[in-house]
Amino acid sequence: MTALLEARHLRRILLEDPPVTLVDDASLAIEPATFATIVGPSGCGKSSLLYLLGLLDRPTSGELWLGGVELDGLDGDARARIRLQQFGFVFQFHFLLPEFSALENVMLPMHRLGRLDGDEVRMRARDLLDAMGLGDKAAMTPNRLSGGERQRVAIARALANDPLLILSDEPTGNLDSRNSARVVEIFQMLAHEQGRAVICVTHDAGIAEMSDMRIEMLDGKVIEQRSPGLEI
Amino acid sequence: MTRSFMLLARIAGKHLLGRRRQTIVAVSGVAVGVGFFLAVSSLMVGSQRDFIATLVDAAPHIIISDEIRSPTPQPAFRAISGAVALHGYKVRSEARGIKDWQQIVIAAGRLPGAIVAPSLTGAVTLRLGGREEPLALVGIQPEIEAKISTIEKNLRVGRLHDLDTTQGGVIIGEELAHRLGLNVGDVVSATSARGDTRTLRVVGLFKRGRGQLGASSGYVLLREAQSLLGRPFIINAIGVKLLDPYAAQPVAARLEQRFGYKAQSWQERSADILSLLLTRNVIMYSVVSAILLVASFGIYTAVSTSVTDKRRDIAILRSMGFSERDLQLIFVMEGLALALAGVAMGWALGRVLMEILGSIPFPVAGETDHLPLDRSPLQYAIAAGASLGAGIVAAWLPARKAAQVDPVDILRGAA
Repeated sequence: MTALLEARHLRRILLEDPPVTLVDDASLAIEPATFATIVGPSGCGKSSLLYLLGLLDRPTSGELWLGGVELDGLDGDARARIRLQQFGFVFQFHFLLPEFSALENVMLPMHRLGRLDGDEVRMRARDLLDAMGLGDKAAMTPNRLSGGERQRVAIARALANDPLLILSDEPTGNLDSRNSARVVEIFQMLAHEQGRAVICVTHDAGIAEMSDMRIEMLDGKVIEQRSPGLEI
Repeated sequence: MTRSFMLLARIAGKHLLGRRRQTIVAVSGVAVGVGFFLAVSSLMVGSQRDFIATLVDAAPHIIISDEIRSPTPQPAFRAISGAVALHGYKVRSEARGIKDWQQIVIAAGRLPGAIVAPSLTGAVTLRLGGREEPLALVGIQPEIEAKISTIEKNLRVGRLHDLDTTQGGVIIGEELAHRLGLNVGDVVSATSARGDTRTLRVVGLFKRGRGQLGASSGYVLLREAQSLLGRPFIINAIGVKLLDPYAAQPVAARLEQRFGYKAQSWQERSADILSLLLTRNVIMYSVVSAILLVASFGIYTAVSTSVTDKRRDIAILRSMGFSERDLQLIFVMEGLALALAGVAMGWALGRVLMEILGSIPFPVAGETDHLPLDRSPLQYAIAAGASLGAGIVAAWLPARKAAQVDPVDILRGAA
């Protein structure tokens, strides 16, 4: 089975004085229908690795393959295109556009892609919000939603263009345990029922335990990759 | 493509509506700039046009006079040329006046739409009750003169045609008549430099303050002037009015070259005034462009703060898959929208200012007139073009910064 996303010897060095190595020789492979977590102490390079995997940042060296295609040498527009079509992001601070309603926030990536017409976009956005249990909050602007609700709107938006990969950085960092559990549930559903790959940076050991694959990092290096289910 | 463009425009619109005060300030800046540009330039252009029209119409477009710019070659020089030195040559005396003027009149008359009016001007002295006033007596043919100059329009009393019907009729300026205590119908005696005296009857008065007509000019029939000045059949000026006043300069040059007499176009006669007008335009356009430029600073500030405020949004849009160009476009559109709104309001403001200016009474030569204004669409177009151009540049500078925002920096900072 070919990996959906594969990183080979990724290295990210900030060219400061002295140079700071954020990610050091990281190699990993993520397969479809997998809920993967990246764990490790603060500042170990978890987020930096996620930004590299999500094409938000460029590695200093190393290769990144998506569906068997090497992504090195793509220009900014092409990378933006891949993010738009194949990646969905969920961050700790949900980052919804404050002027737009929940529904409009979910519609944004679809409008940008322009594959569906206006009615189809609206319908799909409603369906996604319904699936997140937010059908009745569609018209509200983010400031009228609770933290958990905002994060679910962000997940709905990440799913807008039906991406292969969901990349998430501490999605539960700001949420209470009930809302955290709900987010993890959704991620599991996205991986196991919809066949997407979910990569989630977290410092919550509980979440890592529930994942299909655990990538542990220390000082910029991937020190361990294992699948808890297979361990037993 | 268009749908994603609309999306970017909507994001830009939301940004502007979310920052209402900044938006209003930037828009009013442009509006005030455009409004005053329109008011000032319409006044400047309008007054200039009015002024040039007066300049062009008051006198013939070309005046051929009996002066020459270089002395006529003497017969001996014409006969002998080459290696011969001539000394002590007695210069042939010639009668003043334009020789063969009929030919010039015919030649000039062949120009498209040209009207040609020969005249004779000479100095006389008006005497009345022991008082004397110098008068430049101009002999004209009334029916032609009426078509070529604006005397007829500037008559307060009488008509040009009255010269034909009244024996010894003269038209003089109101001021001069007042000084001599003359009224229409009164007679006055005129003495020429040669000592001939004749009685003239005032048949018309032209208005005061019409500089071009001369405060001390008097119009009589051409043959009347010729006989009073003792120069029968002679004329010393030919006025030419052309269909296109702006062709006067080359036509004058051609006429002068062909006939040798000095032919002055209206541009040449008023070269100093025209260069003054040019200076005035340079001053006006620099001041007014400065206003528009300053207005665009408002757009720069508005877009620049918008970029700073929306760094988080920029990061999320970029992570979502919006390209650098998309982000740049969003902020350029914000600037463009501000400029467009400003231009629209500025047009309205300019219109209002023009109405106010236009309603101010402006006394000219004792008559109530209004300020001349140029309301041509060209001024509106210039104002809009300059503002939109400045607005786009002013927005483009911060928009470039928006495109360069590295989403990772923002995400790292916030996480």
